[in-house]
Amino acid sequence: MIDPDADLVRSAGAGDQRAAEALVRRHLPKMVGVARRMLSDSAEAEDVAQEVFLRVWREAPRWKPGQAKFETWMHRVALNLCYDRLRRRREKTDPDAGIAVADTRPLASDEWLARQRAAKVHMALAALPERQRAAIALVHFDEMSNIAAAEILEISVEALESLLARGRRALKAALADVAQDLRGGAEGGS
Amino acid sequence: MTKKEESMDRERFANLLDAYGADFRRWPAQMRAEAAVFAAQDAEAAALVAEAHRFDAVLDSARDDNPVSHDLAARILAGAPRAQRPAFDRRALLALAACAVFGVVIGYGGGMLAPAPAEDDSYFSMAFEAPSAFEDEG
Repeated sequence: MIDPDADLVRSAGAGDQRAAEALVRRHLPKMVGVARRMLSDSAEAEDVAQEVFLRVWREAPRWKPGQAKFETWMHRVALNLCYDRLRRRREKTDPDAGIAVADTRPLASDEWLARQRAAKVHMALAALPERQRAAIALVHFDEMSNIAAAEILEISVEALESLLARGRRALKAALADVAQDLRGGAEGGS
Repeated sequence: MTKKEESMDRERFANLLDAYGADFRRWPAQMRAEAAVFAAQDAEAAALVAEAHRFDAVLDSARDDNPVSHDLAARILAGAPRAQRPAFDRRALLALAACAVFGVVIGYGGGMLAPAPAEDDSYFSMAFEAPSAFEDEG
């Protein structure tokens, strides 16, 4: 297995700042992206990304290419940090903490509608079981291959497909009105 | 036979569509070409793809492309490992060695020039004389 990050990780671990910058450029947006999808909170997602990289810097000097690609390992760390935060949220009493809510500020109507739709999708995603949400975040939003996503979640491809299908079906049911709006908008605009 | 090796039929197509959505680029690599051909030849499959497209658009309305905050990358890089600098560079080490050699030479040479210690130790015993012994002299 060829790990495209192996050289960068080795160099960054030895103190090469350019290699560290390249790793950050390559992976920071993905880490923030998956954490945003999991947590529905940008500030918390950035905290998670920062924590992932703290672990990267700690592991890089002794990283040995082995069973998992470095990127796979990073995603696992990010998801585990997200699961921890979600568990802590559940332990608190406020069930809506951190979940995006519909914006009520006055905006141009198109922009307002788009934000409302986005907020509804975020809320529906947040209501999914964590593993289904993670599968959709990796495959739909991060456009990872089924094999890479299954590796990150440490499950078979068949199990991944099951998570994806159940998650998408639940979202479809929860977002039927958004789909209707979009369809109406598209037909009205044509 | 595993699922991956099954040939495409409407049920298998619908199951994959449920999981991966309408964009065949998200499908398992070995199924993409076959799926595209199947959708082109089967009207019911094509209708399912159109419906899945609409749902993908719903999901994409939550695609968050906001850039990460400006200083996040800088904060992260501030914690990156730094190359270990040697405690002394070579020139400092040479200077230290030269100082040590100079010190040894001066110390040894000084010792050679110093007067030989007195053989009698009367000044030792004087140090312990009673003060009265000195008063008598005054």
